[in-house]
Amino acid sequence: MRTKSVAFSRLATGMFFVAGLAFSATPAVGPTSGKADLKSAGQLAFGPNGVLFVGDAVGAAVYAIETGDTKPAQTAPAVDIKGINEKIGSMLGTMPDQILINDIKVNPISKKIYLSVSRGRGPDGIPVILRIDNTGKLQEFPLDNVKYSMVPLPDAPESKPDAAPRKTPEGMGAGNPRAWTITDMSFVDGKVVVAGVSNEEFSSDLRSIPYPFKEAVTGTKNVEIWHSQHGRYESRSPIRTFIPYTIDKQEFILATYACTPLVKMPVSALKPGAKVEGDTIAELGVHNTPLEMIPYRKQGHDYLLVANSIRGIMKVNVDNLGSYKPIVPKNDACKSSREPEVSVRDGMKSCGIDAGGTPFETLKELKGVYQMAKADESHVLLLQDSAGVETVNFNAGNAGIYTPEIKGTLDLKTIALP
Amino acid sequence: MNVKAALVFLLLPLSGLAQTIQLENGAFKVAGWHPDRAATPADWSSIFAVSVAQPQAAPMLGTYSVEDGTLVFRPRFPLAAGVRYRAVFEATGFPRTEAFFDGPERADLPATKIVGIYPSTDVLPSNTLRMYIYFSAAMSRGEAWDHIHVLDENGAPIELPFLVVDQELWDPTYQRLTLLFDPGRIKRGLVLNEQLGPPITEGKRYALVIDGQWRDARGLPLSRGFRKTFQGGPPDRNPPLLNLWRVSTPKAGSLDPLVITFPKPMDYGMVQRLIEVPGVSGSVVVDRQETEWRFTPSEPWKAGDYRLLVNASLEDISGNRINRAFDVDRSKLAADRSSEATGSLPFSVR
Repeated sequence: MRTKSVAFSRLATGMFFVAGLAFSATPAVGPTSGKADLKSAGQLAFGPNGVLFVGDAVGAAVYAIETGDTKPAQTAPAVDIKGINEKIGSMLGTMPDQILINDIKVNPISKKIYLSVSRGRGPDGIPVILRIDNTGKLQEFPLDNVKYSMVPLPDAPESKPDAAPRKTPEGMGAGNPRAWTITDMSFVDGKVVVAGVSNEEFSSDLRSIPYPFKEAVTGTKNVEIWHSQHGRYESRSPIRTFIPYTIDKQEFILATYACTPLVKMPVSALKPGAKVEGDTIAELGVHNTPLEMIPYRKQGHDYLLVANSIRGIMKVNVDNLGSYKPIVPKNDACKSSREPEVSVRDGMKSCGIDAGGTPFETLKELKGVYQMAKADESHVLLLQDSAGVETVNFNAGNAGIYTPEIKGTLDLKTIALP
Repeated sequence: MNVKAALVFLLLPLSGLAQTIQLENGAFKVAGWHPDRAATPADWSSIFAVSVAQPQAAPMLGTYSVEDGTLVFRPRFPLAAGVRYRAVFEATGFPRTEAFFDGPERADLPATKIVGIYPSTDVLPSNTLRMYIYFSAAMSRGEAWDHIHVLDENGAPIELPFLVVDQELWDPTYQRLTLLFDPGRIKRGLVLNEQLGPPITEGKRYALVIDGQWRDARGLPLSRGFRKTFQGGPPDRNPPLLNLWRVSTPKAGSLDPLVITFPKPMDYGMVQRLIEVPGVSGSVVVDRQETEWRFTPSEPWKAGDYRLLVNASLEDISGNRINRAFDVDRSKLAADRSSEATGSLPFSVR
């Protein structure tokens, strides 16, 4: 007999980190040539002219690597690599369970696939970038001698490399608070937007850093959302994944959080020290953690593909997203509902709703998808657990908060956008 | 010795001497073989292949070079702890040579082990409510049920008597897992109890077996498995009564422990934190199969009257609370502690 979850406490307990302003007014580095000395390779994003942004949470920095990979290709290669974690493990001279695949992105120009990897699970995991070319060949993309620039992230949580993994509602999270600095990253309208947490009150944080990098940019004061399933305002829960999204010619961030509210906020609001209020426009399901999200257009309709920890892959119809009304507190009592310092209980029951906002379908045939990347206009790249996992468990990451617990082997494959 | 024999003798040391593969300072070397001038770096990976010692392992990233006439392979990344490597030398006209090497010892941290399983008594009432497994370091999540087995007296595995829930009941440090015996089988009158009987049968022998494949938070298996045998005892539906506890009082001016002896084992997790001596700080040890609570003060005892404060949430191993048995009032099973009264036992130090 296997019974579903009994309890699901909300926010991680006791998330308080000592402030340490190590980077005040630090200038950016580069462009320069040489070794890009990353401490971790986590989230990836592509910018203009084949520039690969690599989020280094542990080093509290974003690197912009000029890959020179600018030969255009229209379509992505059809990839089907079974056991890619085993293959990477043997290439890097270790066992597959010591390989964390932290992110996958496709260069929109060349359609080559880039993977950020930790070689080793522990705090001494070595950051590695790998690349799959158009013939499907997997190689290292060495950072020993590259043209790059780097910008530090001020106010990052303190680094405690040896801290034991911490329990969170979603599973084990990284013990090193520094690994929480970056949860997702995108290039939007000339800026690198970095989601994560900052040490000031452990707030949910969005930084908008103009590229080319000039100087370090402090994040927003915090990002507050009305989380209707919890029946309260939240500013501590970090954004799990986000995408840039244009609505009526205005750039927005579409972000999701644990327990899956879908939140919209204008990019123009992301200013240093500003308090940003996100509009919750849909609720995609309780007890769930969104892993990855990609927007696409098919047969004249707009969709989001959302990979989730327990709710599979959702295909969300987002036609007319601009007309969605925000989900707001029902009354004044709800309006004053704020998350407590250390949250163990839900907000007021009467303030919450179950689900709502937007129509979606769950693609039942796609299980255990841990990473997704848009391959080209009609294909998506999936990193999938061969064991057909329905519920993703999280272990502590070393280049980000979490890494999914792998039950079978990891397969990387291209499929047509559903 | 004729000329031919002399030639053979002379040639042997040149080509017939076995090549050996050596690992020095993280680099793999073929000793006793001089790279042919005709061979190019492109050939070296086929002549000398180094990989993780796993079936179908892809070649390891690294660089080849010839140093002092010896072919050397330097891996791109340092050899990993606990990993075995295979190096194969195979050149035309030379015997195939294969060698295995181990990466460095995992010297950083000792393997995680099970430090205790509670209740530690050998006889468990048939209505035992919980078991605790304590680990020396944080464990991984989501695989507990694959590594916990219960065997009957013939050594055959039986269906787990625990409430098997996906959300494993870990403490915040992931060092203690709580196993709940299925309450539906414990409580009299419930369907599961009537159909399947209690999870532990009185008089029968069992073994709780934890296998060593269970991985800790670093992804490494436990140092070894653990086995606890126990026998089913009669059910216990009697609430613990404070007036049956024996209190041995220390002498004034000493650092002797205050010792409480219980007539039956108490819940190991709770008994450590739900009994206190107000106004006195110190440390608690639970011993003698959870029938003894010893409190050693940080400062010597001062003469005077004290009291022992017992939170009424304290339970024995069958979940019976102070002055209230477990399956009397189901609705109060998870009642919050704030509304609970406390019991107290006075004692004097002279």
